[in-house]
Amino acid sequence: MTRVGNRVDLSKRGGDTLRSPVPLPRLRLQRLLSRLLFLIPIVFMVLFFALPLALTVVWSVFERTMFWMEPGFTLFAYENFFFSARLNNFLSSMLHSSISVLVSFVFGFPIAVFVRRRVPQVARHRVILLFILPFMVSEIIRIFALRPVLQRTGLINNVLLEMGVITEPITAILYTPLGVIIGEVLSFLPFIVFAGFLAMEAVPKFVFEICDDLGAPRHRVFIDIILPLAAPGIFAGGVFIFVNGLGVALLPNILGGPGAVNAGLIATQAITALDFPLAMAISAIMMGTLLGLLYLGHRLFDLTRILTPIN
Amino acid sequence: MGDSYSNIWSYRLTWLYTLLVVFTLMLPVFYVIYISFNQNGFGARDYVFTLDWYGDIFSDLLLLNALGNTLILAAITTVVAVPMGLVAAKFYKTTRAKLFTVSLLLSPLFVPSDILGSALLVFFKNLNIACVSIGDWLGVGWFDDWFVLGYFSALIGLIIYTLPYIFVVILITMGRYHEQQSEAARSCGATAWQAFRQVEFPQIRAGVFSACAFTVILTFNEYTRTSLLKGGYDTVTSVLISQMLNEGMSEQSYAMSSLVSFIAIAVIGGTILYTLIRSEGLGREARAKALPVMSS
Repeated sequence: MTRVGNRVDLSKRGGDTLRSPVPLPRLRLQRLLSRLLFLIPIVFMVLFFALPLALTVVWSVFERTMFWMEPGFTLFAYENFFFSARLNNFLSSMLHSSISVLVSFVFGFPIAVFVRRRVPQVARHRVILLFILPFMVSEIIRIFALRPVLQRTGLINNVLLEMGVITEPITAILYTPLGVIIGEVLSFLPFIVFAGFLAMEAVPKFVFEICDDLGAPRHRVFIDIILPLAAPGIFAGGVFIFVNGLGVALLPNILGGPGAVNAGLIATQAITALDFPLAMAISAIMMGTLLGLLYLGHRLFDLTRILTPIN
Repeated sequence: MGDSYSNIWSYRLTWLYTLLVVFTLMLPVFYVIYISFNQNGFGARDYVFTLDWYGDIFSDLLLLNALGNTLILAAITTVVAVPMGLVAAKFYKTTRAKLFTVSLLLSPLFVPSDILGSALLVFFKNLNIACVSIGDWLGVGWFDDWFVLGYFSALIGLIIYTLPYIFVVILITMGRYHEQQSEAARSCGATAWQAFRQVEFPQIRAGVFSACAFTVILTFNEYTRTSLLKGGYDTVTSVLISQMLNEGMSEQSYAMSSLVSFIAIAVIGGTILYTLIRSEGLGREARAKALPVMSS
């Protein structure tokens, strides 16, 4: 649109030499409309995404009524969260999420490094597509499908029994925190591959060549070169897994035992119990955690570096 | 390409490891598919191949009804969200407020489904109350049920969920497109729309179509946000979940899960295969065109 705009401005200054084929007011309207058109996604996201999440803070201090809530100021919902077993559940789900992040990093990140360093350019995106494949199967199916695999008479126990590795079935891998961690790793591992891959794309190839030329040993290359350069991607992937481990209610609901509760499950249970202020308080706490982590990461590693390949 | 070809075995081992990780991620799904073909169901000693459980699915009216709802939702989400993602990607290319735009569009990825779902649920309930009371005050009622939980609210939840993926996919394909081509088209007298439709779109078409495939699958698979926002009707995933939670894993749920997975894998596998074959074909064509020039 700017090009047309320049031409119009020229015609205005230069008199009749260059006349725009479209009358001026209509052109102005067109420009305005097209500018508004391009703002639609932004306005949509502000209105239906940023605004509701910001308002959770307001709703969390409302007074609870029988079926709904009414405007007011009370910290009862926060009290309800911080001075009950919910806080312990929340903290232990934080611990489990952190373990999942660590395990996903150990298993997933080497793949991102491998793809960047040794897979030819043309084949790279195909490897990444491979990791999209599990992600295309519904979350509920992937999580539910872990039950027949992990349970007492399930696949893993059967195979191990047949092979004679164990004499009686392992029951510690389902309906326990371990089950939740296995579920989290299997659900979210691709994200650390994607984020790591994006971060590694931003690292120029010659860096590795220089390391090879100078004869740096592998572990030094990994610790001194790859880790610092890929830190924003690792961090973003880690935050993603951590926050989703806290927030996805299905995981503890289906794989966890009686005590396994995370923030998402507390929130949905509060909604079922029509305790809306409590649900909103938990949403606000989760958003605070997320924003705090992202801010911290941004200060430490400059997260915008991940976006270099897109730009 | 590789940093060293000296050790081909370490290269093969790393490939093996990568494929093994993908296989592990898919293993539960494969196992469910395997069980779904067994006449005797899960845990039975002997395995008898059958398709009976799949037959049962299609006689289940509740599920067929839910399938219809899901397909309608998926279709509308695709029609609305993909153009929005395209517009957002184009906006991102030209705007100066890049950081704001990209963080706004990508942050839904980081917000867990249950949290966003609950926030939107309360948001829509409040909007609904506001609409009704404003309507009462003005004495008109035609906007009373705009924000009642239903198709519309579920649709908004789904658009927020899919938009980041669409945005990223289209933006990555746009990375290969050079803006100068549009400028050239414009200076040759094309309108903005013509320049987009005839010059830019053919080059980013693969990205737009894969974004469409993504959106359909993501919508089809989505459970949490939809179930919180959908109001009264059923979707495939909500029927599946209620069946699994009420009856445990029955044989029919195995068959249903496998069917849903089949559809998703077929759609995405088909898209990937199509783009691969197409890019191979285009490459061959380009080489064929280039050959005589090179040989002469």
